[in-house]
Amino acid sequence: MPVTIPLASLILPGLGQLLSGRRARGLSILGLTLTLLGLIWWSLTPQDLSPETRPIPLKGDPANLYWLVVPVLIWAWNVWDAARPNVAPGWIPALLSTTMFFVIGWQVAEINPPVLASNIDRVMLIVRPMLRPDFIQPRAEEREGWVEIIVPCPTEAPAAADSSTGEITLTVDATCGAVGETLTVAAAGLTPDVPVELVWQSPIGDFFVLREADDPTRFRSEQPDAQGGLTTALVIPNAIPPGVDPTMPQEQRLYLRQSRPLGGWELSTNGGFILQGIYETIALALMATTLGTLGAFPFSFLAARNLMGGNAFTLVVYVVVRTILNIVRSIESLIIAIVFVVIIGLGPFAGMMAVTVHTIAALGKLFSEVIEGIDPGPIEAIRATGANWLQIVRYGVLPQVVPAFTAFTIYRWEINVRASTIIGVVGGGGIGFFLIQWINLSDYRAVSAAFLAILVVVQIMDFVSARLRERLA
Amino acid sequence: MLEVQHLHKVYPNGTRALTDVSFQVEDGEFLVVIGLSGSGKSTLLRCINRLIEPTQGKILWDGTDVTAASGAELRGIRRQIGMIFQQFNLVKRSSVLTNVLAGRLGYVGTAGSLAGVWSSADRASAVRALERVGLAEKAQSRADALSGGQQQRVAIARALMQNPKLILADEPVASLDPVLSHSILQYLEQLNREEKITVICSLHFLDLVHRYATRVIALKDGEVVFTGLPQEIDKARFKEIYGEDAIEVKAGLSA
Repeated sequence: MPVTIPLASLILPGLGQLLSGRRARGLSILGLTLTLLGLIWWSLTPQDLSPETRPIPLKGDPANLYWLVVPVLIWAWNVWDAARPNVAPGWIPALLSTTMFFVIGWQVAEINPPVLASNIDRVMLIVRPMLRPDFIQPRAEEREGWVEIIVPCPTEAPAAADSSTGEITLTVDATCGAVGETLTVAAAGLTPDVPVELVWQSPIGDFFVLREADDPTRFRSEQPDAQGGLTTALVIPNAIPPGVDPTMPQEQRLYLRQSRPLGGWELSTNGGFILQGIYETIALALMATTLGTLGAFPFSFLAARNLMGGNAFTLVVYVVVRTILNIVRSIESLIIAIVFVVIIGLGPFAGMMAVTVHTIAALGKLFSEVIEGIDPGPIEAIRATGANWLQIVRYGVLPQVVPAFTAFTIYRWEINVRASTIIGVVGGGGIGFFLIQWINLSDYRAVSAAFLAILVVVQIMDFVSARLRERLA
Repeated sequence: MLEVQHLHKVYPNGTRALTDVSFQVEDGEFLVVIGLSGSGKSTLLRCINRLIEPTQGKILWDGTDVTAASGAELRGIRRQIGMIFQQFNLVKRSSVLTNVLAGRLGYVGTAGSLAGVWSSADRASAVRALERVGLAEKAQSRADALSGGQQQRVAIARALMQNPKLILADEPVASLDPVLSHSILQYLEQLNREEKITVICSLHFLDLVHRYATRVIALKDGEVVFTGLPQEIDKARFKEIYGEDAIEVKAGLSA
């Protein structure tokens, strides 16, 4: 063993191994050492904090310097390994480096288990509404009437308050007032004996249900008399949004609402959206699978080595098609959808195009592998009869691949239904389009109803797909 | 007449499969090609209808340069050359009838054949071809439902559909029971004698060679080491072709 080999490894980790012909080992050692040094350098440099960036706790901590012991030990081990090949055990650098990767990885991922337990009470905020999915609701007759009130009063007093809806008329003793002032409202035309809810609408359209003055946990509920009349007093609430000048007069509204149970159940508004979204999702998946399969079909033949290896030109086509399929396949349909939403605009068409493109790439690859796995004998025999390329494909290839193609297509349909549920999150239509809005609005009752609908559809698709594929086998 | 002139084949991996192979086949001959596995028999047969591209050399068939043909001209040559394979090479999932009809592909239009539409004349001749090999009642069976010997007979029917002037048979009986070997070879012999179809067939067993060949060429490491009549292969020649350690085995039942 010439002394130059360990010396080379002392100068540059892995160099000795490279020079003595152990290329994979040498490159691994060099790559590992550089990665470790790079990681330590990254953790030592302080983060350039601007207001938008989220601080990474690990960055810039001088204690990270201690990690240098790991690459130094590996450096020493590598000199030993260069001097005595196959003696230095490989688990030493493996253990050292994985320890460092795991400890730093734990910190970078900001893993903080106590948080899991400390905020457990927040869970109920989501779980409680989710236990009552908003899909159907008791049938009821909804009636309302409203009156406009200016808060606070402008310098010129407004004209007499003007009630709108025909059935319920509201009269207020003042057409304007400041926050905290008391108003008296008189209503006529209400349904007798059905409780009335008082709702305040802010200048930007938010609704606040008024609460009892002595018990703020309860909503106010007034009982009209037998003729449908009601007179009650209320205090003008502070409904002025943050950032708005409270001295500027704004139009606000008082609503009186009644909900009379009619018995039985009906589809709620959100339930209707869910049905629409689910139908869109299924239609989108069906169209994308059909178009995707039709698109994948020609590509799969062009991407099959055994059909395209004939001459230089077809081989070039094969390489190009194969490369494109591989690239497109590696892009999530959700990402492709973002591109199509930009081109086409929001809606199911964009989502369908994205799922279709992904299906073409994924099925194109799978189909081409089926083609590559077929028995070359019959193809040779058909070619020997003087058949042309299309005839060879039709008589030698198709009969061998159709069963596997069908099974893959059904399986893809199942995948596409799942992809289509989520594609709406980026604006691609379907149930996901509604779901993301409900999540943003914290409407967890609708969210849970949408989850249930997705669950049912996906389960049915799984079952049907499995049964169909069983039959083909 | 088929003339093979100075044929060379070197595979991309460097294997020299054929080296300077030259011979002639007169019309109506039953030429048997013998030699060890890997001696180049399959490559030679596939060069004749250009399933494999020769590296160098010429193949002339009735004056046409097969090696220079391409596209439609090459397919026109291929459709006159039937081919039979060791593994039968039927499309297993297709019906026997469809497999036989595929033999007509070189003669029919692309559009019709892609749609799976066949003329009644083609269908009738497919049934006749199956009758000829005794399998008319199996026409609607799936090809893989048939035994090995039956599949090879379907393959012969497929070759017949080409109205071939020449049949290339690449080890047609090597995957079959010795009992069935004679049955298959007798079909080929019948075609050779009655229809005057030239047959070039590679075989393993010397007793089959003696029984069916009108002439023999032997290949060793891609070179022709013997050309002559089957009777001329004696013990000394046999060792020359197959190597010192070879022992002659018989296919079994004699016809």
